[in-house]
Amino acid sequence: MTQPVSNCPNCGAKIVFKWSSSVQTVCPYCKSILVRTDVDLQKVGQVADLPPDSSPIQLNTEGIYRNKAFVVIGRILYEYDQGGWNEWHITMNDGTSAWLSDAQNEFAVSFASQAPGLPASNQISVGQRFTWSGQNYTLSVITAAHYRGVEGELPFEYWDKTDVTFADFRTQTGKFATLDYSDEQPALYLGEFVEFDDLKLKNLRSFEGW
Amino acid sequence: MGAGHPNPPLPTPPKPQVKALNCPGCGAAIVLRSMGHAETVVCASCHSILDAKDPNLQILQKFQAYTSEIPPMIPLGTRGKLRGTDYEVIGFQRRSITVEGVRYDWHEYVLFNPYKPIRYLTEYQGHWNDISVCKELPVVEFASATYLGERYKHFQSADAATNYVLGEFPWQVRVGEKASVTEYVSPPRVLSSEKTENEVTWSLGEYTYGADIWKAFNLSGSAPEPIGVYENQPSPVHVDVKAIWKAFAAFAILLLVLMAGLDISAHKTVAFDKNYLFTSGDPKAEASFVTDIFDLDGHTSNVRVSTSANVSNSWIYLNYALINQDTGQAWDFGREVSYYYGTDSDGAWNEGSTHDSVVIPSVPAGKYYLRIEPESDARHPSIAYSVEVTRDVTVPGFFGIAFLALLIPAVAITWRSLSFERARWAESDHPPLQLSSSGDND
Amino acid sequence: MFKKLYLAYGLLVLGGTGYAQHSGWSLDRISQLKNIPKSVRDNPGSYRSIYSGYHHYTGGK
Repeated sequence: MTQPVSNCPNCGAKIVFKWSSSVQTVCPYCKSILVRTDVDLQKVGQVADLPPDSSPIQLNTEGIYRNKAFVVIGRILYEYDQGGWNEWHITMNDGTSAWLSDAQNEFAVSFASQAPGLPASNQISVGQRFTWSGQNYTLSVITAAHYRGVEGELPFEYWDKTDVTFADFRTQTGKFATLDYSDEQPALYLGEFVEFDDLKLKNLRSFEGW
Repeated sequence: MGAGHPNPPLPTPPKPQVKALNCPGCGAAIVLRSMGHAETVVCASCHSILDAKDPNLQILQKFQAYTSEIPPMIPLGTRGKLRGTDYEVIGFQRRSITVEGVRYDWHEYVLFNPYKPIRYLTEYQGHWNDISVCKELPVVEFASATYLGERYKHFQSADAATNYVLGEFPWQVRVGEKASVTEYVSPPRVLSSEKTENEVTWSLGEYTYGADIWKAFNLSGSAPEPIGVYENQPSPVHVDVKAIWKAFAAFAILLLVLMAGLDISAHKTVAFDKNYLFTSGDPKAEASFVTDIFDLDGHTSNVRVSTSANVSNSWIYLNYALINQDTGQAWDFGREVSYYYGTDSDGAWNEGSTHDSVVIPSVPAGKYYLRIEPESDARHPSIAYSVEVTRDVTVPGFFGIAFLALLIPAVAITWRSLSFERARWAESDHPPLQLSSSGDND
Repeated sequence: MFKKLYLAYGLLVLGGTGYAQHSGWSLDRISQLKNIPKSVRDNPGSYRSIYSGYHHYTGGK
């Protein structure tokens, strides 16, 4: 798998994409948000320094999910009135893109999915039930969050600061789902909660005194 | 596409560390231990809740604190090991519910580890619980909930209010904030749901003994004695009452079998049987006599001496001695046979019996005779009676004693377990009925 | 733990009961005396139960 290489249009640093389908990345030197066009990279914005946050995961952290190795290549940091969480963009060793969400060290892995009949953002309420992929999901939390920062490679363009509605679903078996209303069409992500120890993470952030 | 020269090394981001800041309200020192996990942090000096994510620590709320407020039993910053993981106490709060006008306070501790989800410890009157947030959803039925295959019974629903806070919290805590709390128990676990406007959070607690908390956090002194029975406190009897009764039933059946077996194998040989007529006449005449010698055979076993007399509103008393002709060993006993009857305002009555028997223990085999000395009611001078000696009989009393001996521990254990459970549920929304008639229930 | 204790206890109770019955025990309290002379057969009136006290009817109507 060839890794595309370009130069940052802002500072000239060499940008290597770890994942061939990445659409957006952040230059680690000048923090410019770069979007891939057919020809080259285009700067579309600038990321302010990410706030000090608590996740033990960082870019290039590696782990194992369901016997497949993955590496962390990007992140979106969300913020809402009650706090914040990280969505880490990971790529499995077979090239699949997935998300490792980290909300106060509760981890879940989910994959973009398709399903018919997804409710619009004004049709959702806590307690609603849906069935996707043969599982019964119950809506447990509705959160209005906005982007706080991005880092690394993402499979789509995202740097919009307006509030986005997220609906989180849980099941009786530890499965997890999210409806992301960033776009007009809600995006569905299906996955499950995972234990920190089961992910066998390496190259984690270290904390002073721990 | 220019590859160009290699990139210069990136500056490494600063390692997360404990932060020391100053309260914007009063200048007191504020410590942030949770490496960015905290949303809010409390200034203990001026009782302000500050925004932990704001570098300026903006004041979010100021609250009233009582000087009588009990300080946390586990000081903030203490580290301990629970379930194999190290945690640091970063936050503390006092919450309360009010039931029928009575306020019940408990305390909660926020536990932090940078790699693990936040855990909580709750403490109420010396009862501790180790709590974590559920990932799976419980299934709620009418008066119970099922979680991970275990059924939990509804214990209590109430509104919980936050009254006092210290340290750091991973949410926007406010003094006065309220949540609807519903608790289901399956000792030693408790399933709790907290409902605010936007969110329902389920958490699972496991009862923990104060001594284990003190050991885990290396606290000085000893844990306060728990008061009363807590909702998910495991029963100290630690026993499956059903299993004990199953064992009892098995033993009762075995006892019946043993009884039948021993009864069948008892020889019950009649060694001596004779009729006599006693006439109480001349007080100078010697009433005592000896019977013929008879054999008591077999291994050492018991001997039953039965006396029957046709007493009718009178009595006969026999002084017995069973004497071994060869060894001179004797068993000495006296038996009364009396029978009374009549009618009165309540109807017919009777008292006593025309028959008596006594069992003599552990009599060795040999040649024996009885020495008998009768006495009787002078008004009834002539009484016919018979004496029968039977070798090796079953004593039903032993089986009665054995049955009670088997029954009593089962009853005692059950009673203890039941009274513990009564104490447990007395504090719930479903208290057991009062047994005394004077108690009033709502 | 209690169950094991109860099982052991129950076996003891059953065993004890069987032993009691087999050994010929009784629930009645009988006084035992020794060395009753053979002369009692010829003279029953001379029998005196030294240890138990001479039984005489003391109660009843």
